Amino acid sequence: MIQQITVWLQSISPDVLTKALRVALTILIGLFVVRVLAVVTQRFIMRKSTAQRQMIARKVIGYTGFFLVLMGVLSELGLKLTALLGAAGIVGIAVGFASQTSVSNIISGLFLISEKPFGVGDVIRIGTTTGIIQSIDLLSIKIRTFDNLFVRIPNEKILTSEVTNITRFPIRRMDIVFQVDYEQDLNKVHDLLARIARDNPWSLDEPAPVIIFSDFKESGIEVLLGLWFAKSDFMDLKNSIMKDISSSFATAGVRFAHPNRLVKIVEGSAATS
Amino acid sequence: MQKTGMAVWDQVEIAQRQCAAWRFPLRSIWVERIESEWHALSLPEKGRRAEARSMFIPRTQKPESSQWRHYLHRESGLVQPTPVLPDRPIVVRPDRSLTLLPGQSTIFFLEIPVWFRLSTVGPRAARIFEEPLCVLTRTWFGDPVTGDLCWGLAARLHHSIDSVETSAWIAVCPLMIENDSDTDLDFEKICLHVENLSIFRGTLRLWANSLNVIFKGPDQATQIEIVHTPPGFEQGLILVSAARQPAAGWNIRKTFGMLKYFTDF
Repeated sequence: MIQQITVWLQSISPDVLTKALRVALTILIGLFVVRVLAVVTQRFIMRKSTAQRQMIARKVIGYTGFFLVLMGVLSELGLKLTALLGAAGIVGIAVGFASQTSVSNIISGLFLISEKPFGVGDVIRIGTTTGIIQSIDLLSIKIRTFDNLFVRIPNEKILTSEVTNITRFPIRRMDIVFQVDYEQDLNKVHDLLARIARDNPWSLDEPAPVIIFSDFKESGIEVLLGLWFAKSDFMDLKNSIMKDISSSFATAGVRFAHPNRLVKIVEGSAATS
Repeated sequence: MQKTGMAVWDQVEIAQRQCAAWRFPLRSIWVERIESEWHALSLPEKGRRAEARSMFIPRTQKPESSQWRHYLHRESGLVQPTPVLPDRPIVVRPDRSLTLLPGQSTIFFLEIPVWFRLSTVGPRAARIFEEPLCVLTRTWFGDPVTGDLCWGLAARLHHSIDSVETSAWIAVCPLMIENDSDTDLDFEKICLHVENLSIFRGTLRLWANSLNVIFKGPDQATQIEIVHTPPGFEQGLILVSAARQPAAGWNIRKTFGMLKYFTDF
């Protein structure tokens, strides 16, 4: 086996061997330098930048470096770059027509990166999908939903859709809407809700909780309880406040509204109408 | 061990399989040492106005609870309980409306409930845990985009130290305020960056650094100066806990940071 390899190597001319060695060295050293540059940029130069900016820098260095290494290799192989670039222009036009969607996604991605409506780690809602942004790439963004699904959304769709960044601001308001029976004392309901909000450890006392009797509905009076909270406390507040409302209402004898119909049968009305 | 008042902050030697308790009006803390584990439990009290005290209790009398936490640390049984200030700024809401007229100055004494920190003492000294001795409300100071998450505290603004009750779990912060503007200064809420303040131990009280506040008008920067020496209202004060984030004097960043927080005067 070794003898066969030796014979094969001896059959190759020294020029070809030298060229192959130079190509291999260009690839190895080039990719190593690109890798080192990416790591140094991410860990030292952009250490205090956001995860999104680090990712963009890493990708810009990676793609640019890979392109330069490729050009170097082609140059070593004796290909004339000017002719190649001319051919690439013609091919590019053809490919461009064939890949309009991809180009649109790339341009949308550039807009998203410059506009910065969200960053890596933000929680966003787009359509019916809610999740944490894992990466923002040239063609799409990748999201991990709360039930651990991987969702890829093309950049073009994001640019033309309504996107809600849930974690953009440090505090949020949680609105809880329910109905109470028409026979309830609304002052009592108001005081009860104010006490529930005040006693809940996750609810901020400033901005103050909002209590609004918002509408007369078919079965009861609609009440809105709006509580401000730090964005990381969503689950704690949601669970605790629902339990607090339920138990406090039960203890105080306040009844939630249930769908009901009052049917009056008037004697003889059918005969007259 | 049976200690009361400020002595509850003295060092304690907890032997193997021994349980110590620190009882405060609003919270009690139990600590037990078993092998290289420290078991800690913190439970709320009913708020009776009693003096702080610490003691050893028989293991049979320790509370049964699923909330015992276990910390692993191989150190001898000597522990240091320390009063520390809360980990976030505090927004103090005075219990009554107060207005400082232009050109006037005054001094207030603010009562700040401290946290209980337990650390081991020795060559491998380490903090075991921290627990607030009074659970404060969560509140927000500033606008909803750039403000800060703080602890909320409804408190009385004392003009004289004599009206402040002595307590081993309340730190007194002297606040000297000067209204150097042409407008009235209404005290609705005051944001104190207690994470920049230290605690000093006296014979009857705990003290935080004094603050000098010069209000120059709603449109101008409010100057806040932290006095790094112990407050002069009691002699022989000893530094017991340094600031969580020591403010190294007066600097530009701090000035502008404080300006933001004090615009709601």
